Amino acid sequence: MIDFAFIVAAVVCVLSGATIVSRKNPVYSVVFMLPFFLAMTTLFVLLGATFLASIQMIVYGGAILVVFLFVIMLINLRPEELREDFSMVSWFLSCLGAGFLAAIIALFAQRGTTSDMELKFASKVVERANGSIFGSIENLAYPLFEKHMIPFELASVLIVVATLGAVLLSKKKI
Amino acid sequence: MFELPSILLADAGGLMNLKACLILAGAIFSIGAWGVVARRNVLIVLVSLELMLNAVNLVFASFARMHANMPHAAGNATAGEDGQIFALFIIAVAAAEAAVGLAIVITYFRNKETVDTRDMNELKQ
Repeated sequence: MIDFAFIVAAVVCVLSGATIVSRKNPVYSVVFMLPFFLAMTTLFVLLGATFLASIQMIVYGGAILVVFLFVIMLINLRPEELREDFSMVSWFLSCLGAGFLAAIIALFAQRGTTSDMELKFASKVVERANGSIFGSIENLAYPLFEKHMIPFELASVLIVVATLGAVLLSKKKI
Repeated sequence: MFELPSILLADAGGLMNLKACLILAGAIFSIGAWGVVARRNVLIVLVSLELMLNAVNLVFASFARMHANMPHAAGNATAGEDGQIFALFIIAVAAAEAAVGLAIVITYFRNKETVDTRDMNELKQ
């Protein structure tokens, strides 16, 4: 059952990713981000990262996707204004890159990792000393607010700066 | 403490291991990198950046799970959660990056009426 879910999520990820980067009209690219993020959320749930999966769905599927759609609506490109996007040089470079990727994947699949790392990590829940659950909100909260407190606060500063920058950039006449 | 759904408790055939997750993440990252390099539409370049960041998140979650399953991490109550926290930070940075990048795209389009990177060559002249 987990294998079936993993295969479906992986196939949806790769196919929707290929659709995202290959459409001429950016509207289709952004719309195909939704199945991509759904499949990625499925993968996170299968990996036991339940809180990360919910944050992924809220932030990516709920916020970033809508921001992209709003920008496409504001820009309002007509389909006949979109020019041909690929040149022969980039096709050649793409074939070269795909060849390198296939070589790396083949090498990795052949050699692989050591048997100690071949963990069937989706098959069972991790047993914890104090009975807590891996990837739950409680287990994420303690390291986040104790060990990683300063990066957490810096992330809030970053988001405030980014919000102000976005407002200033899109408001003024530059 | 809540009960996990039975799909996480069931014994799997073992296809989903670290190698499969890393190969999948590599494939998604390569698709995104190709989109960044080869496409000429700025919006699709930004979407491809999100793809690459998602692939990195998948790698972080996989290694976090692997680290929690390691034998020496059995006594540690929060072994492996650090990787998920890194992924949370990546999501925050991705949100900020998308906001600023799209604001720049809007401003550029308002001034130059184009989103094509072949037209963005003012610094070259």
